[in-house]
Amino acid sequence: MKLRSREPLIFQRSVEGKAGMDLPKLDVPPAEDTRPSHLRRKDFGVLPSCSEPEIIRHFTRLSLWNYGMDQGMYPLGSCTMKHNPRLNEATSALPGFSESHPMASDEYIQGDLELIYTLQEWLKEVTGLYAVTLQPSAGAAGELTGVLLIRAYHLSRGHHKKYILVPDSAHGTNPATATMAGFQVIDLPSGPDGCVSFEDITDQTSGKVKRGFNSVIQEYGQDIAGLMITNPNTLGIFESRIGDICSEIHRVGGLVYMDGANMNALVGVARPGDFGIDVMHMNLHKTMSTPHGGGGPGAGPVACSKDLEPFLPRPIVARKTKKVGEGEVPEHLYYWDWNRPESIGKVHTFFGNFGMLVRALTYCMSHGSDGLREATLRAIVNANYIRSQLMGFYHLSITSPTMHEVVFNDSIQAKNGVHTLDIAKRLIDYGFHPPTVYFPMVVSGALMIEPTETESKEELDTFIDAMKSIAREALETPELIHQAPTTAPLRRLDETAAARKPILRWLPTPAQS
Amino acid sequence: MRYLPSSPYEDQQLLTAIGVKKAEDCLSGVPSKFLLKSLLNLPRQSSELEVLREMKQMSQKNTSFTSRFLGAGAYAHFIPTAVDMQVGRQEWFTSYTPYQPEISQGTLQHIFEYQTIMCDLTGTDVSNASLYDGGTACLESALMAVRVQKKRNTVLVSEGLHPYYYEVLKSGFASHEELKLISIPLDKGITNLTDLKNRCDDTVAAVLIGYPNFLGNVEDLTACGEITHAAGALLISVTQEAMSLGWLAAPGSVGADIACGEAMSFGNRTSFGGPFLGFIGVRDAYKRELPGRVVGETKDLEGRTGYVLTLTAREQHIRRDKATSNICSNQGLIALRANIWLQLAGPHGLRGIAEQNAAKAQYLRSRLLELPCWEVVDEAPFFNEFVLRYNGDWTEMKKQLVRGGILPGLELDTLDAPWRNQYRKSILWCATELNTRHQIEHLIEIMARFAVVHS
Repeated sequence: MKLRSREPLIFQRSVEGKAGMDLPKLDVPPAEDTRPSHLRRKDFGVLPSCSEPEIIRHFTRLSLWNYGMDQGMYPLGSCTMKHNPRLNEATSALPGFSESHPMASDEYIQGDLELIYTLQEWLKEVTGLYAVTLQPSAGAAGELTGVLLIRAYHLSRGHHKKYILVPDSAHGTNPATATMAGFQVIDLPSGPDGCVSFEDITDQTSGKVKRGFNSVIQEYGQDIAGLMITNPNTLGIFESRIGDICSEIHRVGGLVYMDGANMNALVGVARPGDFGIDVMHMNLHKTMSTPHGGGGPGAGPVACSKDLEPFLPRPIVARKTKKVGEGEVPEHLYYWDWNRPESIGKVHTFFGNFGMLVRALTYCMSHGSDGLREATLRAIVNANYIRSQLMGFYHLSITSPTMHEVVFNDSIQAKNGVHTLDIAKRLIDYGFHPPTVYFPMVVSGALMIEPTETESKEELDTFIDAMKSIAREALETPELIHQAPTTAPLRRLDETAAARKPILRWLPTPAQS
Repeated sequence: MRYLPSSPYEDQQLLTAIGVKKAEDCLSGVPSKFLLKSLLNLPRQSSELEVLREMKQMSQKNTSFTSRFLGAGAYAHFIPTAVDMQVGRQEWFTSYTPYQPEISQGTLQHIFEYQTIMCDLTGTDVSNASLYDGGTACLESALMAVRVQKKRNTVLVSEGLHPYYYEVLKSGFASHEELKLISIPLDKGITNLTDLKNRCDDTVAAVLIGYPNFLGNVEDLTACGEITHAAGALLISVTQEAMSLGWLAAPGSVGADIACGEAMSFGNRTSFGGPFLGFIGVRDAYKRELPGRVVGETKDLEGRTGYVLTLTAREQHIRRDKATSNICSNQGLIALRANIWLQLAGPHGLRGIAEQNAAKAQYLRSRLLELPCWEVVDEAPFFNEFVLRYNGDWTEMKKQLVRGGILPGLELDTLDAPWRNQYRKSILWCATELNTRHQIEHLIEIMARFAVVHS
């Protein structure tokens, strides 16, 4: 994969006079310069001058230093790296969608509105909840929207509730979101089964007692605005007492938010609305296969109960049916409903990451009710297969039933000085992207493996062989693993130095400028 | 199902290895009362061809236009073919956030280049790897200013900000009861500096000014900066049309402490408003308060230069409830489109396109004003958008234009904005390098014809 030693920064390639873009000759009189003189653009700094072939080569070479989904298994737990169907890219690029304008009047955007309405209907059925907004741009934006709904709900009833409960296995965005929404966070400990502990837990090393769910409910009662829970949780385990958790929170007047990051383990199998969940988000870039794009864009729709519906971000898509004569097919007319007096307002400039919504609906329609269930079951079977094959080679500290992902740790290998990071980096040499590491924090040295449903048995077996081989190496040649990766474009990078003296942009050296 | 590598033989092998009879047996962790007994009430799976047909049909329910004169936060610009072809590489679009730097150098180096270019376009020292969109960039900038300016709890917002940005700000501020959002009215299409001065006291953490503003007018950032800084507050420039940065001075060089906005114009389609590209650039002193991802340079074990995600001590996965923001992604692929676009354009292309935008908009405006029914509302310098008032039956006029394949400008009085009454019957027009003289003449022709029929 090593094409050449290094591709320099494009700025080091720039030669004045070159250009990679040209324009038609101006066909109207040149602009009159109306700018106040101090507001005129003087220069563009280091913006490079290069031709198209040079820029294409530059980016193509850079791309070769990335590991992508189409190269092999990408078992990043909780990130759901599944196949990105090419059809979804094609439908989102249809000019009718990609060239439509967010400020155009309703009558000119009937296709867009129908798409949003239809995807909302699919997600309502998938989640078993009453209403859906597609506005949030990503999972974290969905969380914030959901918690703002909870806040608005309580305030509308004249209640000023202060606390949001968050299990310690939660993704960091949960507590960060609760704080952003103006709440105080109360941690809930996990029990030995990996689920929220109802009982108090005594930390074995420090001897400190962490209050369990029952004590927290008793202590904070009516001051609890809600609870944020991931289900299945970040250990890939279904919260077996989710029904009790919901009814207890409801009993003290709180609401339950479900982080749907792991919804791909439930689609077509079980519905959060049936558990008693009041509001949740889904990550379309996980469950519905919209590509991760090297870190975005995502989409984080929020589904909620009837009680929370009035507070949804505005506008929402509504539909009226045109009157038609006998024997004619009824025609629908979609429109934006802005008249939402209780709405929390907008959470995105326009209506969300629309291009991602087109991809997600394409995915839903391709799978259908039967395909969605099949995909979920297969994701769970694949994770359980990996669990069954790697048991004994890696330590499984929590043995509750595995859903779509399994969390091992490094305790067997650590005896030989080989740690999770080493195992992860060694996997790179075997041609795989590493699993998620050191998360969830409730498992020390966690290796969180999520194969997804789109991996074949052959690919799973290759991955399992690599993991077993690394386990052997950890016993026999641990020093080899400490060197890893050796086949990647770069060796391990010094992240501490990067943070201590941050270099966050390129600057020309004096000689060059 | 074409995406599932499933066969009866292999499936059986998997189940046997696990020690179960059927896939459903793996659901033992889910209480049986929650397990669905039947399929969801949704259509069954469809072939690729069927789905493509159906989606095509749906997309065609949108009206298609041959020329567009609508901007207002979403701009149609030229996109070289190379952009689409490059981002179609699986290495870019299928990969995850670059947590494993050894096999993500492509994404990391691209972001480092993007950050560098955005710093120079905005005239700031540090840029992050991007934010969701212009509205959320505004919100994150305002929240950041409040963090930097401890003890100050008020943010002043010019009414020249995009009304939707303002709404995102409002919903984000609603949960911070200690914070106040106060709007500063416009005077002749630009921020009223006397009002700004009167409101700027020692409780003000930051002032947000559109540059150019929603009405297309160029605000005098320098003057705003003087007033803001005299009160000890930070000036935040909000650029909803990043192409204007090819025409206007870098906001950071004329007074902005934080420069934020929307950069979808670089290489992205209007796509019904998303995914777009929020940007934020700040002075060096505030870098540890930046929201979102940041990439920095470092060395590997052998001393070779490489790039990593850095300053993570600000972020939610480390700080949890003490993080600067809950954000855990950027708009990776959209930032890539912008980076490729900007590199292709280079200084020559960016200046050229910006000049063409200004020229086309000025031409469109002068041609419209030759018609009897259009009149000037404000006289202020503008980039590629401007407002004119229409003295006629706009509803009917609009129908004629749409019939002629033209998407006209925006009726300002349809918006829920504080200046709504001053802009009755006013249209916000936009022209870019995509609008040919021929398109503009066609628009004028339809209008002239309509005026004759109705006079």
